[in-house]
Amino acid sequence: MSTPASATGQRILVVTPYPPVRDGIGAYAVQQVRALRRQGHHVEVVSPWPSAAHHHLPLEGPKGAKALKKLMAGFDRVIVHFHPDVFYANPSTPTSRISTGTALASAFRSGPPVEIRLHEVDRRWASASEQVEASSRSGFVATQVFEQAARASRAVFKAADEITVHVPEHERMMIDQFGVAPERVRLVDHGEDFTRRVPDDQAAARASLGLPAEGHVFVCIGFIQPHKGFDRAAAAFRGLDADGASLHIVGSVRVDDPSALDHQRELEALESQIPGVHLHLGFVSDEAFDRWIVAADTVVLPYRHIWSSSVAERARLYHRPVIATRVGGLADQIGEHPANTVVDDNAGLARAMAAAVGADASASAPVSTWEFDGPVDRSAVQAEIHRRAAAQRGIKVKAGPSAGAAKAKPGAVPEHVATPLRRLRAVPPPPATSARPGVSTVKRLIRRVIAWEVDPLREQLVDLQRASVKAAETADARLDEVADDHVDRHG
Amino acid sequence: MSDRRIALVPPRYGPDVVGGAELVLREVAHGLTARGWQVDVLTTCARDHHTWANHYPAATTDDAGVTVKRFRVVDDTSGTARADLIRTMALGEAPTLAQQEAWMNDGLRVPDLFHEILDTAERYRAIVVSPYLFWTSFAGGLVAPERTIVRPCLHDEPEARFELFEPLVTGVAKLWLNTDPEADLLDEIWPAHAPAEVIGEGIPVPESYDPAGFRKRHGLGERPFVLYAGRREGAKNWDALLDGFVAAVRKEDLDLDLVTFGVGEVHVPPDVEGRIIDLGLLSDRDKDDAFAAAAAYLQPSAMESFSRTVMEAWLAGTPVIANAASAVVSWHCDRSGAGLTYDDTTELEQCLRFVAEAPTEAAALAAPGRQYVLDHYTWPATLDRMEASLEAMP
Repeated sequence: MSTPASATGQRILVVTPYPPVRDGIGAYAVQQVRALRRQGHHVEVVSPWPSAAHHHLPLEGPKGAKALKKLMAGFDRVIVHFHPDVFYANPSTPTSRISTGTALASAFRSGPPVEIRLHEVDRRWASASEQVEASSRSGFVATQVFEQAARASRAVFKAADEITVHVPEHERMMIDQFGVAPERVRLVDHGEDFTRRVPDDQAAARASLGLPAEGHVFVCIGFIQPHKGFDRAAAAFRGLDADGASLHIVGSVRVDDPSALDHQRELEALESQIPGVHLHLGFVSDEAFDRWIVAADTVVLPYRHIWSSSVAERARLYHRPVIATRVGGLADQIGEHPANTVVDDNAGLARAMAAAVGADASASAPVSTWEFDGPVDRSAVQAEIHRRAAAQRGIKVKAGPSAGAAKAKPGAVPEHVATPLRRLRAVPPPPATSARPGVSTVKRLIRRVIAWEVDPLREQLVDLQRASVKAAETADARLDEVADDHVDRHG
Repeated sequence: MSDRRIALVPPRYGPDVVGGAELVLREVAHGLTARGWQVDVLTTCARDHHTWANHYPAATTDDAGVTVKRFRVVDDTSGTARADLIRTMALGEAPTLAQQEAWMNDGLRVPDLFHEILDTAERYRAIVVSPYLFWTSFAGGLVAPERTIVRPCLHDEPEARFELFEPLVTGVAKLWLNTDPEADLLDEIWPAHAPAEVIGEGIPVPESYDPAGFRKRHGLGERPFVLYAGRREGAKNWDALLDGFVAAVRKEDLDLDLVTFGVGEVHVPPDVEGRIIDLGLLSDRDKDDAFAAAAAYLQPSAMESFSRTVMEAWLAGTPVIANAASAVVSWHCDRSGAGLTYDDTTELEQCLRFVAEAPTEAAALAAPGRQYVLDHYTWPATLDRMEASLEAMP
C-alpha cells in the first residue's frame, strides 16, 4: 500500500465509513488518518462499502465481524470508529445484538490492541431492564434474551483495549452502564485533528457570503435534518431582526430522506414568516463551512438529539461563541468556554439569543411569539394555529395572522379544505397485540412474514395522505390570500 | 508549499493514452514545466479506459521534466450498483444520492492516489483534476477543495446533473472551462458553481503536412476520403456515424471512402468493405498528415466539451462535418464558419454529398478554420491564461 511502515511507525487499521461518500464520521476519520500518516505510521482503512479506503468489507452482523477479525491480524493497532449502523442490523433485534455483539467482542479480543472511538451507541443496549421497558415483549424468555443481548453489547466495549469518547457524559456511560474499567476509557478532544481552512477575517468572510458588514449574525449550519432543530432557532429568533440581527440556516438536504425534505419545507415556510431568518440551501464545502463560522458572531446548535458536534469544534477552532441545547454530550463539549451558553428549552434558547444581540434578555422571558393585530379572539387564535401548523407542514404562508380569519365572526372557526384530510389518522402498522395468550406472538410472526408486502402499501398510503394534505393546504393558503385581498379592497 | 508547484490528476497519462482530456493535461504538464513550474502528475497505472487494467508499474518516473507518480487501480466491485443506477434512469426516475455514491464507487477506485493527495496536498499551489466524471477527479478533488481546480470537460449528459457532483462543482477553488457554451451549460446546471474561467486549451501547430506521403504510406491511392479519429465507441456516436455513412453509400454512389484511426473495434458490413478503412493507431506525424489528406473531418459526438480533433482538422485546412447536437462543436462551426452540422442521417448524407460533389467549395469552406484556431487555441495563449489563473490562487 501507499505508506510504507517506518521503523518507528506502527501498522494501524482504521475501521470507518470513508470518503468520497458523504458521511460525518468519514469526514472526521479522514482527518485522523491524515494526522496518523504524518506521524509516520502506516495506516490502512477499511470501510463498510467501496470508497477511497484500502479495503472494503460488509461489516454488518456476525459475518462482518468475522471478516474484520481476519483483516485485523496483520496490524499492530486497530481504531474502530463505532456507530451501531455500521456493525448491527438496522433496526437491531435482541437476537441480532447477541450474535453480532458476541462476534464483534471476539474480533476485538483476537489480537492487536483495539481502540473504539465512540460516535454513538444506544445506552439502553447495556441494560436488560431498559430494553424490556422499551419493548412490547415481557416474560421470562424475553427477559433472558434481553439479558443476553445486554451482556453481548457490554462485551463489545469491554473487549476493546481502549474506548475513546468526546465528552464526559459518554465516559460515565461507558464506565457505569457498559461496565468498562475506568482506566480504559479516555476522553479525547473531538477536534484534536482539526485544522483551520480559512483566515479568521470576519469582514472578508461576510463580504464573500453576501452578508451585511454590521449586525449580529447567528449561524446554524449542517445537514438539514429535523433532529438538528434549526426550526427552534428560527422561532427563538423572532423579533431580533429589529436589533439588526440575522439568523442564517446553512446546509444541504439529502434528497433521499423524506423527513428531511419535509423539514426543508418547514424551514422555507419559517423563512417566509420571520423577518431576519435566511435559509441557504445547498452543499457547503469544507472551506465554505469554515467561512460561515468565521462570519458568525454566534453559532447556534439547537439540536434535539446529538451525541457530540463537529460544528462546535469548528466554532471553537475560530473562538466563536456557541449557544447549544443540553442534549447528548453537548453541554460537556462546549461548557468549558466562558462565552458559550447551554440552554434547556426553547424559552432559554430565545433568551440566550436575545442576550447575544444585547437585547433585554429578561424582557424576553417568557418569550411570547403570539402577537395579533386585532382583538385576541378565538377565531384569530385558531387561524394563527392553522397558519403555524401549515408552516410546520411546509406550506408557505404570509407573516402575521390572516386578516380574513381575524375579522371572521367571533367563535367561527373557518373550515379549510384540508381539514377533513388532516383529521384522518395516518395508517398505522397492524397492532400485534391480543388479550388471548399466545396470539400476540403469532400476530408478530405473521406481521414479520408479510411485512415485505404490507409495509410498502402502508408507506404509499401515508405518502398519499401527506401529499393530499399539502395540496389542500396550499389551496387554503391561496384562498386566505384572496380573502385578505378582498377585505383590503372592500373592507 | 512551493509557490510554483502544482499537481495534475488525470485518470490516465502517457504518450500512448488515447483521450482528448488526458492528452491536453499532458501538454499542460510539459508546457508549464517549460515555463518554470514544478509539475507532478498523480495518476493511475491504467492505459485502457475500458478495462482499467494496471498496465504501467506503480512507480515514480520522469516524463521530460514532469514527475509522474502512478498508483494502482482497484477494481474489485461487482458492477451491480452501476447496473442499478442505469436501470433507475432507464425507468425515468432520478437516482438517489445513495445510489449515485454507490455508482461512483462501483468501478475503478485508486485509494493510494487518494491518500497521496491527503498526505501532500499542502505542497501544491493548486491541484488540477479532470475530467469531472472520473473517480480520480471526484475523490481527489474533495481532499483539499480550497486548492483544487476542476477542469470538468462538462457535457450535457444526465450524470452532469447528479447531486453527487455538487461539492465538486460548487465547493472547489476554481473551475477551468474550455468554451463559452460549456460555461453556459455550467450556469444552467449549477448556478451556484465555484468561480469559473474559460481557459480553453491549446493545439500544437504542425510545421508542415505531407498528405501525399500519408496516402502513399497507407496505400490509399487518389480516392477522396472523409476522416474520423479517436475512440470508436457508442459514447462518441461512432456507430451512428458508421450507419449514416453506410446508408449514404448504399443509397447511391458516393465518391468518398471513410478512413478512421484510433481505438475501438470497427465492424464493417461486408457489402461496403473497402469503403471503410481502419488504420488503427497512428503516430503523431501520421495523424497530422491524415487530417491534411482528408476531404472533410467528421465529428459525430454530441458530448464534446472542446473537440481537439476539429481544431486539428481546421489547422490542416480541412472542413468539418459535425453533429449539431454538440453545442460546443456547433458553436465552433458557427464562430469559425469552417464547418457544417447535421441533425440527422439525411443531413449527414447531404453534407457528405457536398464534400464529394463540390470539393473546391468544400475546401474553401475550411479556409477560415486555421486562423480561428490560431486566434483562439494556441498553447502560448492558453498557458498564459493558466498561469495567470494559478498565480491568482491564494
